[in-house]
Amino acid sequence: MNIQEYISSGIIESYVLGLASPEERAEFEQMCAQYPELVEARNNFELALEEQARKSASSPPPHIKQNVLAAIGKKDSLATPKIITMEPTTRRSSSWSWVAAASIILFLIAGYFAFTFYNRSKELKNSNQDLQARVNRNDSVLNRLVEEQKVMSDPKVTVVNLAALKQSNNAPSASVYWDSTSSNVYLLIKNMPQLASDKQYQLWSIIDSAGKLQPTSLGLFDGGNEKIMLKMDKAQKADAFAITIENRGNTGGPNLEQLQAMGKPKL
Amino acid sequence: MLMRQDDQAFSYLYDNYSPALFGIINQIVSDRDIASDVLQDVFINIWRKINSYDGAKGRLFTWMLNIARNAAIDKIRSRPYQDSLKNQPLTENVNSTAANSISNPQVNDVGLKKVINKLKEDYRVLIDMSYFQGFTHEEISKILNLPLGTVKTRIRSALMQLRTMIS
Repeated sequence: MNIQEYISSGIIESYVLGLASPEERAEFEQMCAQYPELVEARNNFELALEEQARKSASSPPPHIKQNVLAAIGKKDSLATPKIITMEPTTRRSSSWSWVAAASIILFLIAGYFAFTFYNRSKELKNSNQDLQARVNRNDSVLNRLVEEQKVMSDPKVTVVNLAALKQSNNAPSASVYWDSTSSNVYLLIKNMPQLASDKQYQLWSIIDSAGKLQPTSLGLFDGGNEKIMLKMDKAQKADAFAITIENRGNTGGPNLEQLQAMGKPKL
Repeated sequence: MLMRQDDQAFSYLYDNYSPALFGIINQIVSDRDIASDVLQDVFINIWRKINSYDGAKGRLFTWMLNIARNAAIDKIRSRPYQDSLKNQPLTENVNSTAANSISNPQVNDVGLKKVINKLKEDYRVLIDMSYFQGFTHEEISKILNLPLGTVKTRIRSALMQLRTMIS
């Protein structure tokens, strides 16, 4: 079949009006791809048909357009001018949601920083307290060292080394610094072995009164090997200093059988 | 522009084509209210299927016209519509329905139908039955008691005449 015969066969009208069978449609579309004159003829018939349809046009009821717009989720922007103001409203609502989103993000960021700063300040407060405690400790150590230094370098202070009565590797050892002017007595512990928890060392001043020894307590202290200086009770007169082991908090006289160390001032 | 499916495109499409499509629908569905419902469905369908329109296969109006025609024919063939006409269901009484349309053709003297009315009687009936009532060639052959080949040939001839009349 030549193309002119095909064009005149009624297939164009059949196809355009939707009366052709699926096979005829497929064939027609294939032919259109090959023959531009067929497309032109089809187009002419379509235009004529459209023109004819416009001649028989009839206006549908106005509400149909609104129904369709509602069904497809649109507003009639041409028929109702109000809708034009809807657009900014939509934009505003989208910008509001943007603002809402931004404020939530800002809130979260602010929350994060607040939490971080709170933790940071807690840490700083703790470490500040630590530093303060260390400063206090260092101050007290320093004061003590200064005190000791003053005592040891004071020319009016007499140093009395208290020697152990029994020699051993862990022999007790201490020195008394005695200020004869102020009567202050300081005890520098070099090594006093730890005692049971119910025992304490006790420092005594001993006065030789015509062959009779009079002991006076200068205070109780615990053992240790830290080189620390303890301020003991005052002693106006002493012929010797002695350390005994006594029951904790002893208020009675010395137990001389437990004499640990002794020394005499060099006068 | 149409493919973007924006509001203005839809309004343009509707305003430009709805009267012509409504005219066609009215030629198939004579009740104006029912025809309005059909038009509404047609435009909803057009809008949803607009992306499947292929410009290589024909003009946009042709595509929409076929959607409108098919929807209108579906409507007149639907059971509620048939019941409203107080007719028997189509499947049981194809002959009497067709006989009605032949003896008392539902051809208004407007538009395409006006053109069709100028065809000779044999052709007019065939075009009316196939185009405006949606009968297949096989159904027409059965209803009119004509060989299928004759129905096809006559419809083709009728269409050729129609073309010379509207072009």
